[in-house]
Parts: sequence; structure tokens; C-alpha cells
Amino acid sequence: MKFELSEDQALLQSSTRDFLSSELPLEKSRTVMEHNADGYESAEWRRLAEMGYIGLTLPAAAGGQDLGAIELAIVLEEMGRVCVPGPFLDAILAASFLAAAGKQDALLADVVSGKSLVTIARQDSPFSGNHLEPTRFESGRVLGTKYFVPFATRTDALLVTTRQGVVLVRAPYDIVPLQTIDLAQRFGKVTFDHQGALIGGPELLERVDLLAAVGASAMMLGLMSRALEVTLEYVQTRQAFKRPIGAFQALQHRLADMLLKTESTRSAVYRAAWCLDTGDPDTALACATAKAYAGDASRYVCGEAVQMHGGIGFTWELDLHFYFKRAKTLEQFYGSTETQLEKALAAAGY
Amino acid sequence: MDLQLSDQHVMFRDELRAWLKANMGRPWREELRDPKATEDSMIELRRSWQRKLYEAGYLGMHWPAEWGGRGTTEVEKSIFEAELSRADAPPILNVLGIGLLGPALIHHGSEAQRRRFIPPMLSGEEIWCQGFSEPGAGSDLAALRTSAVVDGDHFVLNGQKIWTTFGPWADWIFVLARTDSKDRYGGISFILVKLDTPGITVRRLRQITGESEFGEVFFEDARVPRENLVGQIGEGWRIAMTVLAFERGATSLAAAERYGRDLGLLARTCKEIGRESGAVREKLGRLLVENEVLRANGLRMLANLADGKVPGPESSIEKIFWSEFDKRFRETALDILGPGGQLVRTSAEARLDVDWSREFLWSRAGTIYSGSSEVQRNIISKRVLNLPQEGR
Ligand SMILES: Cc1cc2nc3c(=O)[nH]c(=O)nc-3n(C[C@H](O)[C@H](O)[C@H](O)COP(=O)(O)OP(=O)(O)OC[C@H]3O[C@@H](n4cnc5c(N)ncnc54)[C@H](O)[C@@H]3O)c2cc1C
Repeated sequence: MKFELSEDQALLQSSTRDFLSSELPLEKSRTVMEHNADGYESAEWRRLAEMGYIGLTLPAAAGGQDLGAIELAIVLEEMGRVCVPGPFLDAILAASFLAAAGKQDALLADVVSGKSLVTIARQDSPFSGNHLEPTRFESGRVLGTKYFVPFATRTDALLVTTRQGVVLVRAPYDIVPLQTIDLAQRFGKVTFDHQGALIGGPELLERVDLLAAVGASAMMLGLMSRALEVTLEYVQTRQAFKRPIGAFQALQHRLADMLLKTESTRSAVYRAAWCLDTGDPDTALACATAKAYAGDASRYVCGEAVQMHGGIGFTWELDLHFYFKRAKTLEQFYGSTETQLEKALAAAGY
Repeated sequence: MDLQLSDQHVMFRDELRAWLKANMGRPWREELRDPKATEDSMIELRRSWQRKLYEAGYLGMHWPAEWGGRGTTEVEKSIFEAELSRADAPPILNVLGIGLLGPALIHHGSEAQRRRFIPPMLSGEEIWCQGFSEPGAGSDLAALRTSAVVDGDHFVLNGQKIWTTFGPWADWIFVLARTDSKDRYGGISFILVKLDTPGITVRRLRQITGESEFGEVFFEDARVPRENLVGQIGEGWRIAMTVLAFERGATSLAAAERYGRDLGLLARTCKEIGRESGAVREKLGRLLVENEVLRANGLRMLANLADGKVPGPESSIEKIFWSEFDKRFRETALDILGPGGQLVRTSAEARLDVDWSREFLWSRAGTIYSGSSEVQRNIISKRVLNLPQEGR
């Protein structure tokens, strides 16, 4: 038994941190997020692919590295620390689906190599609830509208969930961009009346969803770890009433709670990743736990970080708002907290 | 990263499960709701249960062989606690002796003290209580004033201890007493005192549960042999601090087992009584998730122990997490159950699966004893976050 990362895993962590700090530091990503309508740069995406990141968890036959959820969590935690924009997790999830569905080798290889982008189109309504009719697949055609399709404008194909199963649809399609508060993620509303190929049943999404939960919560872990670090530095330097504000117990206790939530998220995320990798019977419960807890915890930690910075915390200039916004949007995507609570209850048999 | 118990630990766990199956009587919650149960009868039941565990070699397992040790580590101890909790075994009576005094004697006591005190402590023949807190010294423990003055080959003790768990039943008390009034930390000594010594009075205190598990202990010129000093004069603070570190450890796993069981019973009750609205489901879901995070924290601590890492101030995180969660859990359980959740055990209509109202009241204690949540947050901010300290 050992909670620490193995040597290889620790190496992955440090090399990813180095890579991101030289290639995708936040001062650079911030410009991209502000000025590039796609939300990320193609050159950087190709670099990620070359470094093997997109194929991290994918089979070697598809050009992937065949690593597990723990490694995915390590990379996403690092990406969270510097708020990397772009469809990294979305591409991995779509590729995992393609790999599970089989018979899509060429497309899969193109996703892994960074040549093509595929994401999953799931959301049948802009708001939660089911007041709109779900997308259908009839006589070889996909009919309906999907909302919050990740990075839709850049995709070469989409995996569209329908009542009948998951359908592969190739671009072009009609896209209306949807802009959220989080510039690191781009979304589109996509309307379909398209030829498509049914490639898998909804059960294939189950494992993808578990991976999504672990991946998103690992990214939230990175966000909160970094937001806490930045705040700890700030409270030691910012002076008020002739002392560093970090000397005030009212802040100290909340900083202690921020650490508690961050470290508890770490326990939950890596436990879930480990369960997923080993096929542990608690996998479903552990993944739902990680996502539901990380959502609350990262919103709390990033929110407290903003609060403890005072006026400058409310500025666009300071980086913290990227963390705060990502935390909030990640809480709602990749299986919202509400969805995860239902999944947890079902997994426990309650 | 590997969260799988080693084969050797699985074997230990399975043996223990089998042993519990063969040797444990009724689950603790059934004992508690027995209409004939009294505080005294529960103490005796716990004493005889402890004796069984002792005879089977499960107490003091990770101590040196001559003191009950069987070459195991903190890992087996944590598994042991989690399994007892899972089986809903009666809590071990001499927890304070075994958990705090045992390590103090092993690390700081004399050979004669170990020989005299450890075996009857493990068997439950002699029950110990912990005399640290005083009316004027709790969180600020070093403010304690109970004095011990050397008089020939005796100490003469004067003062008062309070909130002394098991005080009303204990045979012995380990006391922090002041041997030097000028030296805040270096003036404290660690002394073992027999409670029937002339000059000592023990009084019961009534807790918010109505029970009297704790009491207060008064010392008026009580004469204690000098050989009952642990370590040297003035070493008491240092000994107490190392010992308090033992009070923590991988407690989260055992806690998660217990809360998990109660939560399962709550979920079953909800089905039975038709409490399945979205609002209730969300509450249940949040409790479940938090308990699983508690379990994950426990597994992490266990894995770190197995990996040879000594728990440091991060035990404060564990302590805050389980005790604060316990309060939220029990409060929410009452909210979900409605008025029936407030019924006391002996009332008509009370549910018999979990004594919800008692658990609700008891949950208020965990964030106060063995370092309140506020004190734990101070520890984290100072020792983990290295934040600047104001005078306090
Ligand atoms: C069920 C139970 C069993 C116990 N058993 C034992 C026992 O067997 N032996 C024993 O010796 N003691 C025992 N105690 C006593 C326990 O250790 C003390 O109650 C505890 O240390 C708190 O001390 P206090 O009661 O004096 O409260 P105080 O120290 O007066 O604290 C009052 C409040 O002030 C807060 N506070 C204090 N200092 C600070 C600070 N620096 N910063 C912020 N907030 C602060 C506390 O968190 C608390 O909320 C037991 C207590 C309980 C409830």
C-alpha cells in the first residue's frame, strides 16, 4: 500500500509541470483565451499531441500510451494548476468512446495524433430539465439540437447521443457559439439534420463518464491547489493594521479549511482513479464521490481565494478569476453535482 | 500509488473477521437499546469484551513483544479499529490507558512501571482515566495549576481535574501536575495516581446526553509515591505532547465504517417511511459523498502508514473532518427523520436500528475533545501553512 505516486508517475507529474510552464503558462493562455475565438491555438494542440498527451489513456494500437486514470488525473491536475484552455479532456473522452466502440481506427488515430478533433454532443437543453425533445436517430439521420457541444467549431466530427444510441456525425454542421463565463472552454449549439452512423449503445458511455468524472475532478484539484498557494503567498505579504493579513485568525481558520478541502479532494480523486484502474467494486461510488466533492470544494476554495485578495481579487487583471470560473463551470459539466449525487446513491443501493 | 491491502494485511483482516464472527456477542447498538442496560452494566460488558480481545492477542499488537506485541505495525492497528467498527463491536473500555498511557510508558516509563501497569491495563483489570483538563486549563492546557510538591519519597497533590472520561469507574488516573509554578512548560510532570488514595474525591458530572461518562477529580493533599513519576520531573509536557499525537492516527477508516452503516440504515428507513423527495435524496447523497471522502482520507492515511510515513500535523485534517462531519450527519439525520428522530431510546415509537437522538447529542463532543476544531485549525495554520502567528 502506498499513496504516493510511483517513480514513473512522479516523473510524469514533473515533466508535465515543466512542459506546461514552458509551453502553456497562464500569461500566454490568457492572451489566447482573450483573443482567439476558438479558445486554444492549433500549434499548442499539436505539441500536446506530439508529447503523447492526447493519447495518454488510449490503446497503443491507436498510437496511444495505454496509461491509466491515475496518469490522466496527474496530467489534468497539472493542467488545472495553470488553467490550460482547450478540449483536452473532451478529446480524450471522445477517443475513449471511439476506442470502446471499435471499427473507427482511422478517426481514432487522427484524434490521438492531433490531426482531427472529435467531442461528445450530449446536452439536449440549454438549461437543466427536459422541456425540449431529445435528439433522435431515424433512418440513418440525426435530428435535433445539442447544446454546450465542446469546442464545436473546431470539431471534425461529433459523437451525438440519441435515444437510439451514439451516432457519429461528420462536419460540417450548423453551429451557434455559446459563450460561458469560462474562457477556457468553448461551446456551440449544434442543430442536426444529418447523415450519421450509429456506432455504439449508451452503455459504452458509462466508462467514459467515470473517466470524465475523475478527469474533471482532477482538474478542479489542480485549480484549488494553485488558488490556495497563490492565496497563501498573498496573505503573508499583504499588510493591514500593521501586520500581514495572514496573521488574522479569521483568515487562518478559513485557510485551514481550504487546505482540508483541497487535501480531501486529493484523497477522493486519486482513490477514484485507482479504483477505475484496478476495476475495484467501489469504482462507481468513488468516481461520483470525487466529482461531487471536488465541485463543492473547488468552488469554495477558489471563492475564498478571491475573497482573501480583496479588491484586486475582483479584477480581470489578476489570474484568479480564471480559476474561480473554471471551478464553477467544471462543477456543472462532466456530470453535475446533482447527477453525481444520484449516481452515488444508486451505486450504494440507497 | 496502490491502495490495495497487502496479502499479509488481508490475511490479518480475514482472520480478525472470522474471530469476531465467532466471539462477538450482540452488536453494540443492540446492547445499548436493551431496556435493562445501565451505565454500570455497559461498563462491565465493555470490560469483559476487552478481556476477550486481550486474550486473543489483539491489544497492544504493535508494541514490543513483551508488552503484548506481535510484530505488527500501526497498519494492523488501524485495520483492527476499522473492523471492530464495521462489526459494531462494543468500544474498548480502556481506550485512554491503551491509547495514551501505554505509549507514554513504552517510550518514557521505567521498566518497573511497564511491568506493573501494562498487563492489567490491556486486560481491563485496571481502568485508567486521563487527568489533563482543569476548570482553568483546556485548550490552553499549559495553564494547568494542579500542583505536585515533593515531600520525601512522595508527591503531595492539590487541585482539580475536570471532564475526566471514565473518572467515575476508573482505578487509576494519569495526571499532568505542576512541579514548578514559574516554568510554563518545563514545570509540568506526568504522574500516575491511584484513585482510592486518601485525599482524592471523584464526582460525576452529567453530560448533555444525561449520562455521566465523565466526572471531576479533586486532590487535597493526596500523597503519591515518587516512583509513580513517568520520565523526569519537568518532562510531563513533552511526554503529553508525544502521547497526544498517538491519539490521532488513521481514525477516519473506523469512523467511515460506523457512519456508513448508520447511513445505510437511514437510507433504508427513508424507503420504509416514504421519505424519498428530491430534497431528502440530495441530503442523503451529500452525506454519502462526504462519508466516502472520509473513507478516502482514511485509506490515504493507512497507505501512508504502510509506506512507513509517520502521520504529522495532517492528522489535524482528519480530526476536523470526521468530527465536523459527524455533527452534520447527525443533524441531517434528525431533519430527515422528522420528530421521531428526537425520541429517546426508551420512548414509545423510538426506532431501534440507530439511537439517532443520542448520536445527535454525542456528535457535539467530537469537535471539543482532544483538541477542539479551532485548536486543530490553529495547528494547521501554524505547522502546515506556516502562517505568521499573533500572540495567543
Ligand atoms: C466528552 C468529553 C470528554 C472529555 N474527556 C476528557 C478526559 O478524559 N480527560 C481530559 O483531560 N479532558 C477531557 N475532556 C476535556 C477536553 O479536552 C476539553 O474540553 C478541551 O480541551 C477544551 O477545553 P475547555 O473545555 O477548557 O474549553 P476552552 O479551552 O475554554 O475552549 C472554549 C472555546 O474556545 C475555543 N478556543 C480556545 N482557545 C482558542 C484559540 N486559541 N483559538 C480559537 N479558539 C479557541 C475552543 O475551541 C472552544 O470552542 C473531555 C471533553 C469532552 C467534551
